[in-house]
Amino acid sequence: MTPRVAKYVAFGRVAAAHALENRAELGGRMAFVAIILGVFSSLWRAVAEHGIPIAADRAALVWYLAATEWIVLTAPTAHVDIEREIRSGDITCHLTRPFSYPLALVAQGIGMILVRGPFVGLAAFVCGVVLTGGAPSPTLLARFVPFAFMAMLLVYGLHVVIGLLAFWLTDVTPVFWIAQKLLFVLGGLMLPLTLYPDWMQRLAHLTPFPAMLGGPAGLLVPATAPDTVRLARDLAVWIVVVAIVARTLFERAVRTLQVSGG
Amino acid sequence: MATWAFARALFATNLRAALALRGAFVIQALFMLVNNLTFFVVWWVLLRRVPDLRGWRLGDIAMLFGITATSFGLVITVAGGVRHLGRAIEEGELDTLLTQPKPALLYALGMRSNASGVGDMVSGVLFLAMSGHLTLMSAPLVVVLILASAATFLGCGIVFHSLPFWLGRTETVSRQLWDLTITFAMYPEPLFGGVLRLLLFTAIPAGFVSYLPARMLRDPSSVMLAAALGGALVHVAVAVWVFNRGVRRYTSGSRFVAFG
Amino acid sequence: MSTAPAIRIHGLTKTFRVARTTLVRAVDGLTLAIAPGERVAFIGPNGAGKSTTLKVLSGILHPDEGEATVLGYVPWRDRRTLAFEIGTVFGQRSQLWYHLPPRDTFALLARVYEVDSSVHRRRLASLVEAFDLGACLDTPVRQLSLGQRMRAEIVASLLHAPRVLFLDEPTIGLDVSAKAAIRGLLRGQSQDGHATLLLTSHDTGDIEHVCERVVILHQGKVLWDGSIDGLRRRYMKTRRLTLWSEAEQLTLDLPGARVLAARPHVTEIALDPGTTPVGALVDAACRQGLLHDLTIEDTPLDEVIREIYGEAARHVS
Repeated sequence: MTPRVAKYVAFGRVAAAHALENRAELGGRMAFVAIILGVFSSLWRAVAEHGIPIAADRAALVWYLAATEWIVLTAPTAHVDIEREIRSGDITCHLTRPFSYPLALVAQGIGMILVRGPFVGLAAFVCGVVLTGGAPSPTLLARFVPFAFMAMLLVYGLHVVIGLLAFWLTDVTPVFWIAQKLLFVLGGLMLPLTLYPDWMQRLAHLTPFPAMLGGPAGLLVPATAPDTVRLARDLAVWIVVVAIVARTLFERAVRTLQVSGG
Repeated sequence: MATWAFARALFATNLRAALALRGAFVIQALFMLVNNLTFFVVWWVLLRRVPDLRGWRLGDIAMLFGITATSFGLVITVAGGVRHLGRAIEEGELDTLLTQPKPALLYALGMRSNASGVGDMVSGVLFLAMSGHLTLMSAPLVVVLILASAATFLGCGIVFHSLPFWLGRTETVSRQLWDLTITFAMYPEPLFGGVLRLLLFTAIPAGFVSYLPARMLRDPSSVMLAAALGGALVHVAVAVWVFNRGVRRYTSGSRFVAFG
Repeated sequence: MSTAPAIRIHGLTKTFRVARTTLVRAVDGLTLAIAPGERVAFIGPNGAGKSTTLKVLSGILHPDEGEATVLGYVPWRDRRTLAFEIGTVFGQRSQLWYHLPPRDTFALLARVYEVDSSVHRRRLASLVEAFDLGACLDTPVRQLSLGQRMRAEIVASLLHAPRVLFLDEPTIGLDVSAKAAIRGLLRGQSQDGHATLLLTSHDTGDIEHVCERVVILHQGKVLWDGSIDGLRRRYMKTRRLTLWSEAEQLTLDLPGARVLAARPHVTEIALDPGTTPVGALVDAACRQGLLHDLTIEDTPLDEVIREIYGEAARHVS
């Protein structure tokens, strides 16, 4: 490992250690996933009383939600920390040091995902089994996990972009709310996109959101399973797009700092 | 009464502070409005394909959203300091409040406000209007129910965010309990079975925040109204009692400054 | 004026829990009385119990043992009643609303302390003039300099004409001229309004320029309690002399005299006048050649206090 790579691995490791230490946060997310799955299991049961309007059963839909919630609850909410660093001016200290802030962010994101993922995933899996009395086949799960990981990175990337907007906006929290709700709705957090009216589905597919949630989660629900090749391509494309946007924003921000002095 | 004059002055000052940054105020309010409306779309999608959910239709869900959003928005606008209470306790921000001759809790609650609360209230009223449950006849009842709901929300918020008096750094847990209450309040009651429903009328009082008011609006009864109002009173009384007991144990942020 | 103490403390004890298992006694059996109108400085190293005592007296903290009364009230029991009579300034906390001009906070405080509007207007005008806040009154607090903010904080604490004023590190972070301004104002206000002042500080300048009495705390107990002059006389027997001489070097081998530093033509000496009078030293120097200049100073208060802590630490170990 070259010193340059080791640098970023270290960033990742620190972030991972930090995530591991924050038991309350981990526990809270695990509890939340359990509760939401419980609520939705109930919901789908109630819906099933009239017949579920897509070719999927209650169990499959609960696993679908377990998958999307796993992705959403694992992706770190980077915008909070980035905004804080920008407001407090700490970010200018980073600029004087020999590392790339965006790359460090990526490393930290991966570190946090690698810690949170297993915990939240375990909670989601156990609840899924308890609520549905079964589990998706190991092949399906094996195919799902790497896509989920990519999706988490993409969601994280979105949060990073939102965080970087703090250079120009007085408060990025409202932007985050809207982005999050769009993610939930157009990404199909609770309901597979196949339930949506056609025009909404077409609209959704113009955005990165389905690739973040509905796409990967759909791998666990045979009836809504997307084309894996297309999903892989979509994820790759959107990750590149988000990365470029983040990089551009950061460079623009640095230039602004250098001109007006932070 | 002097305390009432103080409360009015506090609220006015708070509002002025929030409006001091005019642009941010509008954006926060507007974005919260859009935020709530967007979330509702999920229900709209589902209930287009399914006739009803154990007797609940889209209008009923809109009513639930309306009650929760309006009462939550009211709490955030008028007593927004509740969300910050835990941090104020942990970091000794209660010091200044405790040396002044007005109730520290009232002061702490009224010291902060967030424009998002206005967005919540506006969206809440819109939802209620959409739901068909808000008519000229029912408006007074709706107002009373919203106030009761907000009081309960505030009460449980105070209790959750007062935990640091006893348990130290619990900001995450307090926030999660608060978020849970809101989450549960936005799902129809019939989804929840016996044990859970018991929880939702006690520790996580989503029942008093939205289920009782919803029951009242769908099927008015004086028993239900008394329960909603009584529940609100109890929550506020318990909250004040908990906070005052907590103040006795207050250690004034000596975490940071070495005592001395 | 009543002769009953304004502040009376007896056997006050307060313990804190640090980390999960350690208990620290911040205040340990403290006993003290302060007369009305007195200006008292509480000093001591970090952890000595200064801020804790102040917080107990202002009603923020409940003590574990002991008694205290402020103006006859028990602070933690009669908090709300006492609050009308006291003012507080915490150097590291603000009671000013950040995004609003100080005027708005002052208006709110008038309601808090139930001050009649005409009384409030008059008092505000006089304080604004005394503290030179005219320009800042309508500027949002976040745009004020630290010095201006501190002046506004103190005005905020004086609006209701309190009989006792508690100040915790009021000049922390301020530049020299800002400190001087605030010290003068505090002394003036206390003298005019007959307010009792209790001040904690790390800055000996605050003590010397504002207060007449010094209480030195160490590990929660009183180490020294008396006037500043008394402190000087008891501990600062040594005078510091600097002599500028024609001779390149001076030989001053006298009992009670210790050479601190010697440069060509300049000699610094610590002298105990009780053993060798100043005159005798000067004579001895003059006999060695022409004396161009001479300065005589007291030992700086800082060093005195350090000396006292040092003594105390040695006692403990």
